[in-house]
This record gives sequence, structure tokens and C-alpha cells, in this order.
Amino acid sequence: MSKRTHAVLTRPVDTVTRPRGTRFLVNYRTEAAILLAIVLIELGVGAMTPQALTRGNFADLAQAAAPLVIMSVGELLVVITGGIDLSVGSVFSLTGMVTALAMAYGLDGVSSTLCGLGVGAIFGIVNGVLVTFAGLAPFVVTLITYATAGSLAFIVTDGHSMPVPNQNYYLLNSGTLIPGVTNFLLYCVVITGTTEFVLRKVVAGRWLYAVGSSSEASRLLGIPVQKTRLSTYVVCSLLASFASVLSLSYISNAEATAGSSLMLQAIAAVVIGGASLFGGTGSAIGAALGALMITVIQNGVNLIGINSFWQGSVTGLVILIAVLIDRVGKARH
Amino acid sequence: MGAKLKNVFGATAAALLMLSCAARAADKYTVAYIAPSLDISYWQWVAYGVKTEAAKLGINYIEMTSENSPSTQMNNIRTAVTRGVNAVVIGPVSSTSTPPVLRFLKEHQIPVAFTGIGPAPGETDYTSSVTANNYETGVAEGKFICDEAKKLGGNKIGMLSLPLDRENAQKYLNGAKEAFSTEGCDLVQILQTHGLTVNEAVAQANDLLTAHPDIKGIYGMYDEAATGAVKALQTRGLIGKIAVATADGSPTTVKLLRDGAIQGLFLQEAVGQGIDATEQVYNALTGKKVTKDLPLPEPLVTKDTIDSPEMQAKLKRVYPPSAGAY
Repeated sequence: MSKRTHAVLTRPVDTVTRPRGTRFLVNYRTEAAILLAIVLIELGVGAMTPQALTRGNFADLAQAAAPLVIMSVGELLVVITGGIDLSVGSVFSLTGMVTALAMAYGLDGVSSTLCGLGVGAIFGIVNGVLVTFAGLAPFVVTLITYATAGSLAFIVTDGHSMPVPNQNYYLLNSGTLIPGVTNFLLYCVVITGTTEFVLRKVVAGRWLYAVGSSSEASRLLGIPVQKTRLSTYVVCSLLASFASVLSLSYISNAEATAGSSLMLQAIAAVVIGGASLFGGTGSAIGAALGALMITVIQNGVNLIGINSFWQGSVTGLVILIAVLIDRVGKARH
Repeated sequence: MGAKLKNVFGATAAALLMLSCAARAADKYTVAYIAPSLDISYWQWVAYGVKTEAAKLGINYIEMTSENSPSTQMNNIRTAVTRGVNAVVIGPVSSTSTPPVLRFLKEHQIPVAFTGIGPAPGETDYTSSVTANNYETGVAEGKFICDEAKKLGGNKIGMLSLPLDRENAQKYLNGAKEAFSTEGCDLVQILQTHGLTVNEAVAQANDLLTAHPDIKGIYGMYDEAATGAVKALQTRGLIGKIAVATADGSPTTVKLLRDGAIQGLFLQEAVGQGIDATEQVYNALTGKKVTKDLPLPEPLVTKDTIDSPEMQAKLKRVYPPSAGAY
């Protein structure tokens, strides 16, 4: 089957039938709604605590959201194919510990980072191979690797947290590869933008939606279903590892529990962003905005001074509203 | 035939000798340490204390984790008793989870010592409760951070707290509030942790500083709080302009203290609690005197006192050598 045929077969209906002017709004209506919700939440918090609307707070928000944004984009890829990766939080923790440990053993920043990313690659391959070639359920496979990576995060340093000995490692997060743009922001924009472009415009990206919608139909159409699935698990784990080294660069301290809450947050961000856990839908921009929304809620709850135990309830409510709005919107569509 | 019989007798004698040695080894006391969870350094360090003291006293040591679940904790206790332990050192999941544990151990006449978290109020069927004196520490840390804030020209304090449903957190808070009231400081906001991670503490410290830019002191109830607060202050160029104090102590916060980023550490003797609790149950087993309630003080250490022999000795009762430098 030619590449052209693939492109036609997997092109979204909207882009075929609607005029260009309305196409953008139709394609990104969920994202626009999330963005509007974020703005409204922020304005609401700002009305109660004016400091919320300061440049400093926006910088804090961006920094706090960066690792979750990157992880969520990775998680999204797996979710689009109809899978799920529960291991991202543990991979995050293990990556941080391995990277810091490598530095403690005298490796330079680059080599240590590669060691950390290697953790992501290994777990991504293990997840992908077990899901695709062994035919095991993604939930079960990633539950196993979640437990294993989480356990290894303690084992590698006997549970002790590890400070980063490399004084210049902060540059990975806080340096400026492009003048005026802090690296963490650059990574978020590049990763989200590239992923969105690939998902929308590149044939291989469209395959993810096809596989998520119907793997059997995709196989009949000649799409390499197994390789597509495998690649999403590898990229997902790699992005979780990258989020971890970024966080490590910022915090300068590795902890075995660092990623413990991030797995659920990443999945929540993906769902808030409009993806279906049944596969076949979702966008990188939506996932990134979902991650930003979770961070905005956490920030808002803290700034207003609400008991921080309410964060989970507020996040849960937001997910419920997002899912309901999405469902109503799709029903009308 | 005679040679064969000799061989059989020889083998039997050797086997009996081995069994007798094994029996003698089994005669050694065994202590079980039941941790609420082992994903927090604090409980690992208590475990190190129990293990070290057990080795010193010639006691066998086994370890179990309750994964923060009262039912798992009860299962662990039952398993430990089935395995024939002679004493239990427990960091309970919560004070309120302790009555059934104490009833069960009393039935089996097994001495039990608490570490970190004590038994429920009104419970008396335990050997010893080795905890930190959280209330007194709360007062002392409150007074210390208030004084530091005043030196920096303000009286507003922000707090990064443990979950306030914990008894020790309430004691810290009540102590701190009393000190603030006495010393004339204002506690402007309390942010509770969920995950006890530095990452979370950084975000919370940033939010605290955004909501209350005029604070002059940050009161941490746990080690990661101070590490997170320092990171937030570093990013904003506020090191030395806002004071930081915390309870606990670790290689990370000790280094930050030496660097002048943290002004005061109130050392909680995690290792020491394990050591003292094990000593208490051993005393009970051997008929020696036991101390029922042993609230250990949390001494203040500053940059000026960190290298004193007294504080170095205290630090060795906070975390094990494998955790990092003292």
C-alpha cells in the first residue's frame, strides 16, 4: 500500500469535509475549552490573590508543570493506541536515582543523563515487547514494570535520596539554549509541538489513531500495528525519563518516591486533554494543557490557602467536567 | 557390618550435633521491626537502628512493612508471632491502629516498643514508647524561626507541614503556634504535604512566597520541606533574606545548613529511636528495668554547632553512615 493511500485512509474526517477557516476551531475545540478554563481558573484565583497573576507566579507555574507536560505527552501516545502505561511514575523515580548515582560515581552530566534515559529506553522496550509480541494486556504489563521500577528506585541507593554533585547540571533545566527562553519551556514547546505535528501531519502519526480505533482494521490496511504500538511505549518511557532528568536538574536531588504521584496525574492530564482511554483520540496540545490545568489547580489551591487535601477532589471534579463536556460535544457532533 | 554400623552411628552423632547447634542458634531472641512503610527514609533509618542494636545485643532481626495499611500491619504482627519472634518494635501506621495490635501481643506475652508514633491515648499494654518530643520541638522551632525572622526585619512565617491528620504534626503545629503567640510572630499560611517529596515542597514554597512575599521565615516540619524551600529561595535570590528551619535532618539538609541556606535543624533521632526501642524490649525480655515513655528531645543544630563532638554524636543517631556525610 502506498504512503499516499495511508494518508488518505487515516486523514481525519474534519480535514476532508470542512473549509479551512473553521477546521482549526473544530479540530481544537477541546483544547480551546481547556485553555479557556485555565484562564478562568487563573482569573478567579487572581481575584482572590492578586499575586497569582504576576509574572513570577506564571514562571513558577511553567516550571512546576514542565515535567508533567512532558510525561503527559508521552502517556498520550500510548493512550491513543488504546493502551496505558502505569509505569511512568516509577520510571521517573528510577531515572532520577540512576542519573544521580551515575554522577556520584564520577560520570559527567551528559553521560549520566544518557544512563538515566537508558532506564527509560529499557523499560519502554520491555513494556512494548510484552504488550505487542507477547500479547499481554498493557495494564498488567505496565503494572509489573511500575512495581519493578519503583522497587529498583529504592534498591539502587538503598532508599537514600541522592544530591546532584554536578554543580552545572542545573543548566539542563534552567539554562537557555535559545536566548530569552528557559530550557524547560523550550523542551515543553518543542516536544508538544513536534508530537502534535507528527500526530496530525505525518503518516506514522496517523497510524497511532488508526491502531487505537481498530487494530484489526489497521492490520488489514497494512499498518505495522506491532511496531507502532512498541514505538509508543518506548517514546512514552523515554519522555518519562527525560521529564525526570529535567526535574533532577531543577531540584538537584533525586528521591526514590519522586514520581509516585505523577503517573495518575499524567493519565488525568491526558483525559482532561480530550483523549479517550479506549484509544483513537487525543492531541498533544490537549495533554499539555491538561497537565497545565492540574498544575494551575494545585497552585490556585495553595495561593488561596485552601487545605491542600482538597486538590485531589478539585482535580477529580475537573476531570469529570472535562469528560462530560467532551461527551456532550461529541454527541452533538 | 560392624564398619557399616560405625558409619551409621557416626553420621547420626554428627546430625545430632548439627541439630543441637541449630537449636542453640534458635534459642537466640528474635526481634521483629514492623515499619509503617519503607519508602520514607525516616523509617529505613529507624530500621537501621533496630538492626544495629539487635546485632550488638546478639538478637536475630526480621523486618516487615505495613504499606501504610492497618490490616497489613495486623497481618504482619500475626506472621511475626507465627515465626516465633520474642519481641516487636513497631512504627505503627497510626496511633489509632494500635489497640488490636497490643491486645494480640498481650495475649502472646510479647513485649512491644513503639518508635516514631506512639500508641493510642489510654493504651497501657506496651513495654515502651520511644518517640520524639514533637510539642517541645514545635515550641523551640517556632521560637527559633520567629527570632530569625525578626533579625531579618519581619514577623511573618509560612509553614510547610506534614499532613495535619497526624498526631505528631498536630503537636508540632500547637507548639509552633504557642511560640508564635508568645514571641509575636504571625503564621500566615500552612501548606500540607501529600507525598513528602522535594518536588512538591518546591512548588509549595514557591506558592507560599507568591501568596505572601513579605514572609521572613519558613517553618518546615519535615526534611524535604527545607530542601524544597531552599530551592525556591535560591531561584528567587532570597537565600539569607528569608530564614529556614526544619525538623528531622539528613545529609542534604546538613549540607544546606553548612552552606548557610538553612539556619536551624531540629534533629530527630530516627536511628536513636530504633536503638532505644530495641534496648527496651531486650530489657523486658531479660528482666531488666524498662522505661515506659521515652520522648527523645530534638536538639537544635546550627552552622556554628554542627561540628561540635556533641552534635556529631547526635547526628549519628539521626541517619546511618550509608545515607551520607555527617
